[in-house]
Amino acid sequence: MKTIEVKNLKKYFPLRKLGKRYYIRAVDDVSFSIEEGEIVGILGESGCGKSTLGFLISRLERETEGDVFFRNQKISGTLRLPKDTRRRIQLILQNPYDSFDPRFTVGESLLIPLRIHKIGSHDLERKRKIYEYMEMAGLSPATNYYERYPHELSGGQVQRLSILRAMLLKPDFLVADECVSMLDVSVRADVINFLLNFASLSKTSMMFITHDISLGSFVSNRIIVMYLGKVVEIAKAKEIVKNPLHPYTRILLSYSPVLFEKRKKIPIKGYVQPLLEKPKGCRFFQRCPFSQKECSEIDPKLVEIEKGHLVACHVVS
Amino acid sequence: MKILKVDKLSIRYKLKEGEVQAVENVSFEVNERDVVGIVGESGSGKSTLAYGIMKLLPSNAYFKNGRIYLFGKDILKIPLEEIRKNRWKKYSMVFQKSMNALSPVHRIGDQIKEALTIHQPYLSQDEMKKRMERAMRMVNLPLRVLKAYPHELSGGMMQRTMIALSLINDPKFVIFDEATTALDVVTQGQILDEVKKLVENLGLTAIFITHDIGVIAEICNKVAVMYAGKLMEFGSLKEVIYHPLHPYTKALLKSHPDFLKPGEEIKGIRGALPDPLKSFRGCVFAPRCEFASEMCFEREPEEISVEGRKVSCFNLSEVSK
Repeated sequence: MKTIEVKNLKKYFPLRKLGKRYYIRAVDDVSFSIEEGEIVGILGESGCGKSTLGFLISRLERETEGDVFFRNQKISGTLRLPKDTRRRIQLILQNPYDSFDPRFTVGESLLIPLRIHKIGSHDLERKRKIYEYMEMAGLSPATNYYERYPHELSGGQVQRLSILRAMLLKPDFLVADECVSMLDVSVRADVINFLLNFASLSKTSMMFITHDISLGSFVSNRIIVMYLGKVVEIAKAKEIVKNPLHPYTRILLSYSPVLFEKRKKIPIKGYVQPLLEKPKGCRFFQRCPFSQKECSEIDPKLVEIEKGHLVACHVVS
Repeated sequence: MKILKVDKLSIRYKLKEGEVQAVENVSFEVNERDVVGIVGESGSGKSTLAYGIMKLLPSNAYFKNGRIYLFGKDILKIPLEEIRKNRWKKYSMVFQKSMNALSPVHRIGDQIKEALTIHQPYLSQDEMKKRMERAMRMVNLPLRVLKAYPHELSGGMMQRTMIALSLINDPKFVIFDEATTALDVVTQGQILDEVKKLVENLGLTAIFITHDIGVIAEICNKVAVMYAGKLMEFGSLKEVIYHPLHPYTKALLKSHPDFLKPGEEIKGIRGALPDPLKSFRGCVFAPRCEFASEMCFEREPEEISVEGRKVSCFNLSEVSK
């Protein structure tokens, strides 16, 4: 069964500028699906709509058009979802300090969702469960951490707690939006390993939003590359790294700093500019070093080039 | 030629609660055309070291001991007037938070021009304009940015403006303090390329402060690894990244995933940075170190220096196995 299926999803944000109405096309006609237990990485630069996509799927934001299905059940069209569906879809955000109430102890912040969803019959049982999870996360003695406030803990610890908070509800689907980009590398590795262990134990599917290719390919089974609201390439993580097809993916990879190899960078023109008018051709056309005539006229569609490797580019197909 | 020599430098902050040892006994040298990368976790004293070299430390900080020789002069001894004359002309800095570094009420062009009029007042208006435009092109910004106010720019554009501003007087030495951290990979790559060109063509010398080892591997020829204010390891890029000696450097490299090596495990470093307010015995890294022996908790390892490569660790033979 597909955990998440997205069909032609669009999100336009209205913008008023000089008395005229414009739309920022944050997510524009995106379709993909996530299988049970699969981890899909969403890769892209800032402003490509990857976070908006995360909010749309975790139902914090209403779509402009399109459908989202969660285990074959339609969840789009409304933000009023059954409590149980809400429990099954969880979200981890970038800044852990912002996602905890500074006036609650972290234990209380973990307890409240359990109360809401009536997991466990009384608070003592819930607390015991939280302790158990905390110990698993390496936060021991748990009784000690339970009473602390977010500001008393380090970023890595609070982020681990926010992963815990999501995992305590036993979700089927998890959206992790840049969940380790604020942490130091030395701490990051542990938090990632912890998240992956948890996800594989409970067979949770995950959407891992990141701008870091190394991290994305380390974590995910499949990677979706986005550019200005559009999906430009979908492939297995290993495939993306070994054999990137879309010019944008190739450029992105060539610019990513790596430790052990000197690679040639593919030159790129200009910089990302938000689209106000609906573009006629490919969105990457003006910056693309390989662009042809038809690129400026026809918007390329996602085409399957090899099995499981989809690319939206005229030049490649 | 030696551009910078830091000799047994210690910088401390005075706080109500006590003294913070931000930089402890750090020594290293930077030659002409070197690009030295300083890596370390947040709170390891990288930025304090940079501010110290620029003499821009806040008033509650003081130099405990040590010397900083910049272009052969001891900047802790020469009068502030002389430093002011040279700062931004001979040496400059790109600050971490560009939003806070630019004035919100002046146009970008005016702010850059100010740096030119103060340090090179003899230039004609035309010449100044030419230089500003050249600087803008160098960081891949459209010329309209000169007429814009900071709030009209995106974070990446502001960061590039800061880089243009720091290079406007053709300095010989620039410190980039997390200058590309907030940028997208492509923009970051472009700026690193520009800096590389400046080093090759104009003989620029630079210090790159970052926590991204990938960036260091991309641009630097020497690396300094800092931890809790101390220099753990210093040497050429090849030596430090490909043949690390210090357990901290090794652990840091292990925690960094690399997409060219799929399937490789990553491993974090257990524990956290020590409380900088507390004084400690022995090696600072010992509580988090895999190789720590009894001696590590009792005595502080001395810096072992061989042919410009420095490392402070007791258990080198153990670690390199």
